[in-house]
Amino acid sequence: MIQVEGLTKIFHDKKRGEVVAVNNLKFNCQKGKIYGLLGPNGAGKTTTSRILATMILPTKGKVIVNGFDVVEEPKEVRKQIGFLSSETGLYDRFTPRETVEFFGRINGMEDKVIKKRTTEIFHDLDMENFQDVRVNKLSTGMKQKLSIARSIIHDPPVLILDEPTVGLDIITAKTVIEYVKRFRDQGKCIIYSTHIMREAEKLCDIIAIIHQGNLIAQGTLVELKKNSSFDDLEEIFFELINQGENLK
Amino acid sequence: MSWKNIRLIFVKELVGTLRDKRTIIAMIIIPLIFYPLLFAGIGYFSKIGSIKSEEAASKIIIHGAEFAPQLIKHLQDYEKIEILIIEDDSPNKLQNGDIQAVLVVPQDFKYKIEREEPIKLILKYDTTEAKSRIAQQRINQVIEKYKDEILLQRLSRLGLQEEFLTPLILQEENIATAEKITGSFLAVLLPYLIIILIFTGAMHTAVDITAGEKERGTIATLLVSQISRLEIVLGKCFAVMLISFTSMVLGLFGLTLAFLSGASIAGGVEGVPFGISVNTVSLLFLVLFPLVGLASAVLVMVGIFARNIREASSYITPIYMLTIFLGIISISQGMELTGKMFLVPVLNSSFVFKELLMGKIYWSHIITTFSANIIIAGIALFGATRLFSKEEVLFRS
Repeated sequence: MIQVEGLTKIFHDKKRGEVVAVNNLKFNCQKGKIYGLLGPNGAGKTTTSRILATMILPTKGKVIVNGFDVVEEPKEVRKQIGFLSSETGLYDRFTPRETVEFFGRINGMEDKVIKKRTTEIFHDLDMENFQDVRVNKLSTGMKQKLSIARSIIHDPPVLILDEPTVGLDIITAKTVIEYVKRFRDQGKCIIYSTHIMREAEKLCDIIAIIHQGNLIAQGTLVELKKNSSFDDLEEIFFELINQGENLK
Repeated sequence: MSWKNIRLIFVKELVGTLRDKRTIIAMIIIPLIFYPLLFAGIGYFSKIGSIKSEEAASKIIIHGAEFAPQLIKHLQDYEKIEILIIEDDSPNKLQNGDIQAVLVVPQDFKYKIEREEPIKLILKYDTTEAKSRIAQQRINQVIEKYKDEILLQRLSRLGLQEEFLTPLILQEENIATAEKITGSFLAVLLPYLIIILIFTGAMHTAVDITAGEKERGTIATLLVSQISRLEIVLGKCFAVMLISFTSMVLGLFGLTLAFLSGASIAGGVEGVPFGISVNTVSLLFLVLFPLVGLASAVLVMVGIFARNIREASSYITPIYMLTIFLGIISISQGMELTGKMFLVPVLNSSFVFKELLMGKIYWSHIITTFSANIIIAGIALFGATRLFSKEEVLFRS
């Protein structure tokens, strides 16, 4: 469903000159799988997510999302994806129902379909009791549910979730993780970027470890453990990073 | 480009803006309630002040009163003049407001009257004090009356009639129409007010729905939708245009209300015949729309470029100052624009407004202004769309 080949992104910074945010990434993600991008802050996870979501263009490489090229057919790609990140805010002066309906409309859905789908999603996410309350009156957990609802209103086959649990309390984070699992079970292809080891361990079918823009290892948790002298993902992570630093 | 998508963004921005308390305060409460109340208050207090000044008798001192008993009698007969007899006649008394005027009669008053020579009287008063000005007017009235009496006596001595002094009578007839009178009255300040109201009306919304969206992190959700960058920019720009136009209309309405309430309470301006032709109003709108579009497009462009609301405000401040400056030029009397100057945005509109309000229709000016503003608004829109497509602008941190 998602094929990434030689993906490179270079930013031009006045002070630092050329900054390679992502360097020659290569990975695939299939339907019904969660592909985890694990790395510390500044590793290149958000840049990768943004390229997949057509928000920024790659400097080099090819990215195909459900058969569409992010550079050649960005509009088609956007139809295929639901995007959620810690920085995707909500409109404070709208209610959840208005928000979800608006995003349905700007994704080209018909009003009748939007209504039906909104009712279903609100029921699934247990949002019915606050669907008509303005967003600025909602709790963090309620807002995150709304963010999820907003990103899946058009029933996209691909979900790109960039650190969706950052800043959430433990209960809300758990709820989000439960929904992500549910979306996988529904057959969606999910890119899940995080810096939290436990989340990656519990959730991701394949884990890609990214450090300073480079993909330094990828595989299932079992495969990563097999190739390492450690048994714990955190230990494996540091081992891989140290190896990367030594190679330099 | 789909109008349906533009409309979606337009409606979303409009609803969001109208649900913002600050918009309601800036658009409705301040112009329609606060301004009229403020002006009414000012009118009320100035009326109270002027009534007090008018009612009180003017206290004056006369030096050399003994030399002009006739004149003094006239002054004493005037109900609202009180002549004080004070030994201490230091100038401080006048400065402190203890007395309102000092009249100095020369010693040779009687002698000069008899010899029919001009007599110089000195009237000291303080023009910055309302009571002192009133005293000056009252004394003037008395002196004029006394002067006329002396003149009549002299004329009768010579066997002449009063008409002798008026060989010519000029009867003036003002042919200005109600429209022109209204126009010239409005042309002084209205263009400036229109421009300022358009910009202030557009500023808050333009910043809120561009830099504000970046700050709140909602912009990313729009970028991954089916709506193109151009549609987003146009939808936002049209929303700012409508808000700006409505604020201007409400602002003008509020100021008119304020002015009328203030003036009627103070008992000031009255009887200005009001009339503007439909033709003038339609031409005013024709010039107004590109200006509203220009202001909105420029402010939206700046808002998109800025990282956050604070940065946008600091970019907008010099633009606003420039607008005020151009507006002030339009107030200055006697200044006229030449051909090419009508290409300068804002300035051109203010001068065309002025011309239209004075009943002058110069098509070359109207067309130049209209086209120049439309083209610049178009460039700003193009710039805004380009900026909206630049990842280094959208994701600057």
